[in-house]
Amino acid sequence: MIGKIQDILNGLGIDTYCIRETRSWSAEGFFVKKNLDLKRRTTLTDYQVSVYCISEKDGERFTGDSTVPVYPGMDDEELKRTLKSAYHAASFVRNPYYPLPEGKKETPVSSESGFAGMPLEKCMMRVAEILYASDVCEDVFVNSAEIFAVKKIRRVVNSRGVDVSWETFEVNGEYVIQCITPNDVETHHRFAMREPDEAAFRADVEHALRQTRDRAQATQPAPGGTYTVILSGENVNTLVSYYVDRASAGMIYQRYSDYEVGKAVQGESVRGDALTIRLKAAEPYDSQGIALTDRTLLENGVVRTIQGGARMAHYLGIEPTGEYRWIEVPTGSAAFSEMKKRPCLHVVLFSDFQMDSMTGCFGGEIRLAYLYDGTDIKRITGGSLNGSILKAQENMTFSRERYRSAAYEGPFAVAIPDVTVAGISAS
Amino acid sequence: MKAKSSPYIRAVRPLLEKLLADLKQRYPYASVLASDCREKIYRVNRRLSDINGSGMLSARGFVVKVFDGTYWSEHSFNEITEDTIPDILRQIAETSAISEGAFPEGIGQNEYTLPEEEETVFQGSTECVKDPEETDDDEILARMEEIRDRGLAFSEKILDCIVQINWNHTSKLFLSPKKDLEQNILWTTGMTVAAAAKGQEIKSSFRTASLLGGMEIMDQLDADMEKAAGTTLELLDSLPIEAGEYDCVCDPEVTGMIVHEAFGHGVEMDMFVKKRALAEKYIGRYVASPLVTMHDGAAALAQTGTYFFDDEGIMAHDTVVIDRGILRTGISDYQSARILGTEPTGNGRRESYRRKAYTRMTNTWFEGGTDSVEDMIASIDYGFLLEEPSSGMEDPKNWGIQCMVSIAREIRDGRLTGRIFSPIVLTGYVPDLLKSISMMSPDPQLSGSGFCGKGYKEWVKVSDGGPYIKARIRLG
Repeated sequence: MIGKIQDILNGLGIDTYCIRETRSWSAEGFFVKKNLDLKRRTTLTDYQVSVYCISEKDGERFTGDSTVPVYPGMDDEELKRTLKSAYHAASFVRNPYYPLPEGKKETPVSSESGFAGMPLEKCMMRVAEILYASDVCEDVFVNSAEIFAVKKIRRVVNSRGVDVSWETFEVNGEYVIQCITPNDVETHHRFAMREPDEAAFRADVEHALRQTRDRAQATQPAPGGTYTVILSGENVNTLVSYYVDRASAGMIYQRYSDYEVGKAVQGESVRGDALTIRLKAAEPYDSQGIALTDRTLLENGVVRTIQGGARMAHYLGIEPTGEYRWIEVPTGSAAFSEMKKRPCLHVVLFSDFQMDSMTGCFGGEIRLAYLYDGTDIKRITGGSLNGSILKAQENMTFSRERYRSAAYEGPFAVAIPDVTVAGISAS
Repeated sequence: MKAKSSPYIRAVRPLLEKLLADLKQRYPYASVLASDCREKIYRVNRRLSDINGSGMLSARGFVVKVFDGTYWSEHSFNEITEDTIPDILRQIAETSAISEGAFPEGIGQNEYTLPEEEETVFQGSTECVKDPEETDDDEILARMEEIRDRGLAFSEKILDCIVQINWNHTSKLFLSPKKDLEQNILWTTGMTVAAAAKGQEIKSSFRTASLLGGMEIMDQLDADMEKAAGTTLELLDSLPIEAGEYDCVCDPEVTGMIVHEAFGHGVEMDMFVKKRALAEKYIGRYVASPLVTMHDGAAALAQTGTYFFDDEGIMAHDTVVIDRGILRTGISDYQSARILGTEPTGNGRRESYRRKAYTRMTNTWFEGGTDSVEDMIASIDYGFLLEEPSSGMEDPKNWGIQCMVSIAREIRDGRLTGRIFSPIVLTGYVPDLLKSISMMSPDPQLSGSGFCGKGYKEWVKVSDGGPYIKARIRLG
């Protein structure tokens, strides 16, 4: 199909293009309590074709682009009409000129995942087996689960010689844990694994069961006020995503961020931990076919890399790094147990923790928290947290304990002083 | 004019009929859904413009669903020819054949009974005034740039203005032993955003427009840019709110988010099947003020959640969920209704042919009341007028609320003071909030600019809204 698309592009005189092919296969299981409710399988091939129109006016060069989906069932006539229409649209888009990444045909990269040797249905069932292995209590149990085992082979071909392909395996999904006593509550959990790390997943499930039991016993909201708040797990990743976003060429070019290499972005007098963030090449290439390598984004609170694809990098006059989805943060300075010795509110579950990279505001409704007053621990539910990373960033302390997820490896917890919490009356 | 049918679906229809005939020989029940979703997204801001024909919903493909007498199985694919039909049959056969021997210990399967269908043949298309596929990209971009420029000219403090238009034309064909349904739906949404910087903070305000139709939406966007720019400048002086419970007036968009997030998700009956929804225990009981009547329905009105039949071949409904404060029923997909022994309500929706169908909302709203907005504000000693919802998260199990709102306008002694507080988190207990509703304006307004997720995925287009409401709400 890629050859056919290239032939038609050539016939239309479209000499600047990028074709992305994704072939994917999945086995999916939808479980309600301990019953499989639906079995699914998918077999898909998708293409996205970006066409570029380079123009010149008054001595200034422009690049217009437009992307269209192309489907396996398209005949030559529809394909030609679709690509011609995309080029027509691109001719009206006048963005500053930028070149596509240059490259050559590279050897396809096979996945070395432990899932690679197993049929997808077996991968899905193996993860279900681990999930349900810990489901042994009558009062706290797996309410429902969705498990997707997915194999993908991606290929990117462009008009400047890039021709790369790579294979990935992932088992991802979500599960809901319910505890029926003393209160009937549930907690929602997502997972994604590229390796069959059974021990880690089993530990996650057991942790989720314990958390849900705690939520069932929590009835009191936090008294309203200002707290040292501890965030943990995936919420730490969400919080530090602020810096990843702000160091993106796209935000900088649009003037939403003033980050530049060498800028100290956590403030002038960091009293907590100065952040280091590394971009990890979890896949060999990004969606434009740019080879990814591990890079340091922030080092001790100072910007070391501005990350971006071909267009934004060209606009800023920097090297295109490609676009990353996985970060690593080094170990912090405090033991998690030390963090909890001072009065604090450790929020472990939100309904939806949000970090707004534009305003710097973070917050959400509290589903489960532990209130430490130095001696006692109270389980808390209800109320909301509303903070600003711009106010907090000089005083954040990260834990020595580690946490790993599909897109993050780094400190398990972060302590943030002086965060406002709105308490509520119990319902 | 009517939204056109898909030439591709017309061309492959004989192959789909052959596939269905083969499936019928192998299984007691089978269905085939074909979907061809075309869309285009136009976006301009200060420095860049884009035209993208490959959005989140763009997809063309098929899903077969079979019932083997006890269990359901599905296979999604996106290529069909005479030559690929045997492979499609093999794929669904292998999936259907996965038996309990392959399952983890202690895991079984949910058992179902044979679907019952009535003979139905249907063909329908929505209407539009200005067909986007017949409107030149140049004309659309030029109009959007004009709107953007008016926003940028509003004040030197405006950092950026964004104008976005998104049209979506989806054609579907559903075939089963007794059903032959075809629909063509065209909706368009638009958004204007203005942004300004306050140090490292980027403050922004937006206006949205949506309709079941085409490029006639541009007329609605014309007046919005200056309003968004004006509010953005106000936000530069916004203050953090003191947490507490306040008398609030919610504008129709905030009402819509409360309707959708706080209550709508809680009456999705696939959650009843899993015992994940508190609402199941409250059928026939007061859950809201007697002023409140709530609907959900793809057939109820013309907005972005409108369609003629759902992704399981059930014709669209207009379901009265809450009738004068009393919870009457939930909304349901077909498979959940079979388990619960209820009637499906035409709410079985897929993100695309690639995904499973779930119970999903469509157009969801509160009916209007009799109060004026002026009277609502005048009735408040100290409180807030809430505007510009940004996101929310459901909690069907415990009826907790989390809604994020950008603007709370201060009301003191029955008047707006001009002071703005931002950002705001709405929290609380759903029935408490709904029972506290004491005033409602006459005319419900619906907005279909956003998408609805199920948890953190499965995005579908919906609309929601209602009138201005006065309620007691905890803000933080």
